[in-house]
Amino acid sequence: MKRFYRIWPAFVALAMLLVPELVMAAGGKAEMLIVVADNRTVESGWFKFWIDAYNTDPFMFGLYCTLFTGFLGVSLGLITDQIMKRTGLDLTSRKLVEH
Amino acid sequence: MEWLYMYMPIAGIDIFWPGLVLIGFSVGVIGGFFGMGGAWMVTPGLNILGFPMAFAIGTDIAHIAGKSMVSTFRHSKFGNVDYVLGLTMVVGTVVGIECGAQIVMWLEAIGKVGPVVRWVYVGVLALIALMVFSDYYKAHKKKKAGVVDEHGAVGFTWYKTLHKINIPPMMHFKVAGIYCSAWLPISVSFLTGVLAGFLGIGGGLLRMPALIYLVGCPTHVAVGTDLFEVMISGLYGTFTYGVKGRIEVWAVFVMLCGAAIGAQIGTVATKYAKGYGIRVAFGLAVVACMISVILKQYKIDLAATVVILGAVGAICVYICGIMFKGAANELREKKANSKLAAA
Amino acid sequence: MKSKILCCIVTMIVALCVAAPANAADVAQGKCVSYDKDKGVLVIEEFNTKFSKENKFGEPTGKQSTFNTKEALVGITPTPGDIIRLAYDGKSADKKTFRVMNVTKQDLMKK
Repeated sequence: MKRFYRIWPAFVALAMLLVPELVMAAGGKAEMLIVVADNRTVESGWFKFWIDAYNTDPFMFGLYCTLFTGFLGVSLGLITDQIMKRTGLDLTSRKLVEH
Repeated sequence: MEWLYMYMPIAGIDIFWPGLVLIGFSVGVIGGFFGMGGAWMVTPGLNILGFPMAFAIGTDIAHIAGKSMVSTFRHSKFGNVDYVLGLTMVVGTVVGIECGAQIVMWLEAIGKVGPVVRWVYVGVLALIALMVFSDYYKAHKKKKAGVVDEHGAVGFTWYKTLHKINIPPMMHFKVAGIYCSAWLPISVSFLTGVLAGFLGIGGGLLRMPALIYLVGCPTHVAVGTDLFEVMISGLYGTFTYGVKGRIEVWAVFVMLCGAAIGAQIGTVATKYAKGYGIRVAFGLAVVACMISVILKQYKIDLAATVVILGAVGAICVYICGIMFKGAANELREKKANSKLAAA
Repeated sequence: MKSKILCCIVTMIVALCVAAPANAADVAQGKCVSYDKDKGVLVIEEFNTKFSKENKFGEPTGKQSTFNTKEALVGITPTPGDIIRLAYDGKSADKKTFRVMNVTKQDLMKK
């Protein structure tokens, strides 16, 4: 029971996150923006992928954006982490001094 | 000079990419150091680069989510992130933001939304700045008088009173070193959430000082835990703004390349800064934000942009200074120690 | 911790690779000839992709095309003479349209 007390907020939080209408994105509500991305002169397959997703399925585009952002955050984090490690600094401890 | 411009596939325009990297970098540094998203700093910069405003907010949020991930991981290694506290606060934040948005809708219905929101924003920022500086003054006086506890001199200790509330469930947040009722962080995050939803901002600006003064986190843990929350709300924001077609994905990538490096520098800089160093610099950033909002209210947009970008530049240089000075000292000491050991 | 992060990365890459967009849309741009909102029929005179200072949106080709906009997301309502850009399913016979953008009236620099 004690253990449950420790983790219940996490469950409530997850449940809330599953109710999209209840959660508003940081930065205010946005109206749907109808833009058509022009793929007629684009040759790169990578750009075409994004343009097609944008033009055809807003939901999937949102999902791809989230996945892509998460992927970038993790991979760039790992890369810059390696760079920081090479500096030879101690990156695992710090003193807590307020003043 | 064509190579300095990059094609943005969705908006279909060419953008000066070093500008995007620079914006990402500086906001990365500041966000990692203060524990906030910093969308208010990005928008004027994007505006100057000629970035379509329709995509500005969504692109901001996606880049902030990615950047906060980098900072959160780094802070987590320092032991600055209290995940349990962060998750507990997500509950209040989520409900609070929705309530704040409802208040805005009500104000919209009676037609008073614009000025009310701006002036409340200015009032809140002024309050935060006042609180930070008077707290610093108090802590400084205490230090001079020799009243020092385990982490050094501390100014306001309102949280000590709030910790006495013992409505169950009581929780022990180990990393933050707090034992209090779960309702304290939930209600604090609810209040900051209401304000954030009302003002239409992410809320890092409000949550960071609230974590320090009301919940009682050490400054470093407040920064790390707040970034964890920014990451969660940022990822959700990325999804909703993506669905609404307001993200220029390629710009997110370019900005994140700068932001990832900036986030590392900003985060590691917290190691070399004292809690009050972070708090005072944060107070200055809040003042800059407040001035820019006032200028915007009077439609002096150019001056507002100059104030924001000037503040961003100055704070960024200050943080980089802390980081490089601290790192150089540490490396020098390490070298000296190893020489001593060898001798 | 590291292996968890690596797992995350691999999952995301796999998810991105596997989930390719179901539809690849063709894009057409041109001047609106007529638009019937109720019937969902949009007729445009198509422009090509030879952009220049005189022809910012391409040169007129004289070819008129009809699109089915019944299920499309339509931004600012097109009126005859507006420059329109739309994404449609090139494989469907009635050119089923996904999104219609009013290039003339949509100011992307506005919030």
